[in-house]
Amino acid sequence: MDQIVPPSLRAFEEHRAKADFRLGEAEGRWLHLATSWPWSVIEVTAANRPNAPPRYAFRFELSGYAAVAATAQPWDAGANAPLQHRSWPTGKAIIPSIFRPEWKGGSCLYWPVDRLSIEGHDHWRHQHPSRLWQSRRGIICYLEQLHDLLYSSDYSGVRGS
Amino acid sequence: MSNIVLFVQEHGAADAEELEIALSATFAELLAASKGQGPREETLIFVDEAEEPVGVEICIEHSGAKHGSRVHLSRCRHVEVTVYYQDKTEKHRFPPGAKVHRVKHWAVHKFKLADTDATEHVLQICGGSDRPSGGTPLHALLAPGSCALCFDLVPDKRVEG
Repeated sequence: MDQIVPPSLRAFEEHRAKADFRLGEAEGRWLHLATSWPWSVIEVTAANRPNAPPRYAFRFELSGYAAVAATAQPWDAGANAPLQHRSWPTGKAIIPSIFRPEWKGGSCLYWPVDRLSIEGHDHWRHQHPSRLWQSRRGIICYLEQLHDLLYSSDYSGVRGS
Repeated sequence: MSNIVLFVQEHGAADAEELEIALSATFAELLAASKGQGPREETLIFVDEAEEPVGVEICIEHSGAKHGSRVHLSRCRHVEVTVYYQDKTEKHRFPPGAKVHRVKHWAVHKFKLADTDATEHVLQICGGSDRPSGGTPLHALLAPGSCALCFDLVPDKRVEG
């Protein structure tokens, strides 16, 4: 008997097969590493900075995808464990306000697109409409925002360098 | 015969179409293989962010396209971009495949923003709240029949509260 594929996983795989996701991989903006439902690990490329890695991995938790927003945390793909806080990306103003290891124990990003962080922050829906989760675009809207952040002039490297 | 994967993007379309085609094929053959429904008679073809269009008779392998390149099918020779910042206005023509981050880089230079200010400003489509990702090609943002775009260079508010 065929294994039943959860609708949320099917929706995620459909988005991952879309040209927009594949284009991001072809252009080197991100790369899917592994999925073990409901988690998926995806690397996002960063601008060159001294003593900083060329990319960061994020583990996305995707329950209820894509009607429900994803949540993501920086991930050590080699160790398959949360990325040590000293290795998180940082920057001058915007990025340190998003990559906050002290927020919910480092389990998510302090960012309107993130499911765990938007909870209790309804005012963000009006203040940051362009930063919200879009079910139609799904994981691509989260990845685009991460890539824009890690390629911005605000990004300066890792916290511990 | 070796093949190449290209991403075809139509005027005003947010989503690209992924196509695998022989390197020796012409752009006319690429157009024929595309599912796009747009009119073809006046379509100009641009590869990635190139300034000049390529002819339909040109072979893909001689066009500079590489694996994963974007091929823009545009009805515009240029995109006339207007950017407003405070009480100032600047205009410039970009090729249809130029990306939003290139416009921001140009605008920051034109308006002489300091590094800190540049970091904390983003391009927002005039009259709305859309802040397209830096990797978005300009002609994907165009309205039907238009070859012009308008942006406000606005402060990127920190996520707080």
